[in-house]
Amino acid sequence: MSATAATADATLLCLSGVTKTYRMGEATVPALREVSLAIQPGEFTALMGSSGSGKSTILNICGLVDRPDCGTVELDGKDTGTLDEQALTLVRRENIGFIFQGFNLVPVMTTFENVEYPLFLSGVPAGERRQRVSEMLTKVGLADLERRRPDELSGGQRQRVAIARALVKMPKLIIADEPTANLDSATSNQIVGVMHELGRMIGTTFLIATHDPRLTVLCDRVITMNDGVLQ
Amino acid sequence: MKWLIFAGKNILRNRRRSLITVLITAVGTAGILISGGFALFTYESLQEMAARDSGHLIVAHKNFFTSDEDTPMQYGLDNAAEMRKRLEQDSGVRMALPRVQFSGLLSNGDKSSVFVGMGVDPAGEFYTKGPALTVASGTTLSAAPKADAPAEIMLGTELARQMKAVPGTLLTLLSTTTNGSLNALDVTVCGTVSTGVPDVDKRLVYVNIATAQHLLVTDRVSTLSVYLKDTGQTDVMRTQVAAQFPLQTVQTWRDQAYYYEAVRSLYNRIFGLLGIVIVVMVGFAISNTLTMAVVERTREIGTLRALGTLPQQIVGVFVLEGMILGGAGSLCGMLTALSTTFIFLFADFQMPPPPGRSVGYPLQINFSPSLYLLTTLVLVLLSVTAAWFVSRKMAAKPIVEALTHV
Ligand SMILES: Nc1ncnc2c1ncn2[C@@H]1O[C@H](COP(=O)(O)OP(=O)(O)OP(=O)(O)O)[C@@H](O)[C@H]1O
Ligand SMILES: [Mg+2]
Repeated sequence: MSATAATADATLLCLSGVTKTYRMGEATVPALREVSLAIQPGEFTALMGSSGSGKSTILNICGLVDRPDCGTVELDGKDTGTLDEQALTLVRRENIGFIFQGFNLVPVMTTFENVEYPLFLSGVPAGERRQRVSEMLTKVGLADLERRRPDELSGGQRQRVAIARALVKMPKLIIADEPTANLDSATSNQIVGVMHELGRMIGTTFLIATHDPRLTVLCDRVITMNDGVLQ
Repeated sequence: MKWLIFAGKNILRNRRRSLITVLITAVGTAGILISGGFALFTYESLQEMAARDSGHLIVAHKNFFTSDEDTPMQYGLDNAAEMRKRLEQDSGVRMALPRVQFSGLLSNGDKSSVFVGMGVDPAGEFYTKGPALTVASGTTLSAAPKADAPAEIMLGTELARQMKAVPGTLLTLLSTTTNGSLNALDVTVCGTVSTGVPDVDKRLVYVNIATAQHLLVTDRVSTLSVYLKDTGQTDVMRTQVAAQFPLQTVQTWRDQAYYYEAVRSLYNRIFGLLGIVIVVMVGFAISNTLTMAVVERTREIGTLRALGTLPQQIVGVFVLEGMILGGAGSLCGMLTALSTTFIFLFADFQMPPPPGRSVGYPLQINFSPSLYLLTTLVLVLLSVTAAWFVSRKMAAKPIVEALTHV
């Protein structure tokens, strides 16, 4: 008992026996079968696997935007299964950043406002927000474009904004589901570089689902999924 | 503040749609305010007319309004002159006018017709009646008739036409006296008048109160009509006068204003229904716009939720959007209604005569701050409720579902 507690303390995210099944009319689609996974703080982890193998499903569960049918998800040693929607939202707000395949920036907000939004949610005072957002935009190389709106940016620039938005609150965990799938290879390389570099700098844990083998060379750990199980 | 800016930007996403929503709300608001203002103007005009006609307070014998008299003036007031003096001492009273109500036959020698007569004090009566009484020909009754001159009579225009009477014509009044016998009195027509109600003009007779008392052989009067300086004081003064004359009954103009009450309840229903229809229409427009906005922004809502936005914060943004749309709409509507009020104030549009009347009246729209406030409040509340209603489901939708929405 004490031994498991000790490991749980060090582990950032711990999934055990996680199962998720989708129902498509009569048929049931098992997306995850009894998956157990432990992610250590600061790890840069890639999740590979063919289409439909369950990468997005497990990422959603890790990002606390979805719940497993069975099994437990512990963040920082605390079981998240007992938390209600409200509490989960607050846990995400403080601890988890997201980078999406489709960037998912808010179209009516400028670059600056998009990056500022998570800090605003957390109640960071305006002066500090201003400073932290500017620093972050400089780090992703968009200091000149803070007044632009997403539709005035290229794909690569948009994803940089998204990376800045995910990192600006210095979350413990960043979930990135195919962050480079919508980008050309040169831009993908830059984006991967930026994520890796900033992740190291800030000490954030990354969990990235990808089809892109180039991404995996930079990762501490590569997990392959197949039909809802980890290999 | 940040949320408000965000809501404002969201409204500007689809400018055309937002503009149309604001326009619909504005038209609805203006519709409510203009029709409501017109109804209020009508009530006020009718109120004034009713008060001019009957007096704000009517003091009478305690059986006067409830029982039918066996003989004329059975329930008349005995000491009217002294009561009048006491009433007119009050600073809130403009004047107290004695009236004698009587009826009988009016004859021109060849034919006769039923009349409904009123014995009045000409000095006060025709001053207070003002625009409610139009002199069609001749003059009103003399305020101080010469003792040897024949008694004067003023006829309603319709009655004058029937009697083929013009100023100067000699007619005979026939009526039952207080002791039950028949009495006749020769009178000279001094003028004809119109009240604007043909049915009244067909029977209307005004004579000096002394003439009426002479005809009926009485020194009583039927009622004392009390005119106040301020219509708003009616209820206060009623209590006061009732206490002053405990043996008499005191009614207000409202008790006698059957026409006013009928029009008011009709208009309240018509304009109330119109208001409800408009509110429902605006409600549909706003919820439709917001529903489209919510559906279009499904993926964004999923993103914001993933980033740690609480469902109620999402709903809050939509509520703010509803508030801005509804608020802007009612503001535009108010300005429209206000300028319409001003235009009508100076343009002098005439309304056709209302049912049972022969003259029209100016079309005006009253400005009522409480109507403006209430309308805005209802419409903003409506938009807020609509926004809450259409966004609350989406805000509670599973995030993964919202994120994969195409
Ligand atoms: N909402 C859903 N309803 C029904 N089945 C679903 C749903 N979401 C996922 N699935 C199924 O669950 C399985 C795992 O899907 P998932 O999206 O996790 O795969 P993935 O590895 O992310 O695939 P891709 O590389 O295409 O993104 C698939 O068979 C998929 O069809
Ligand atoms: Mg996927």
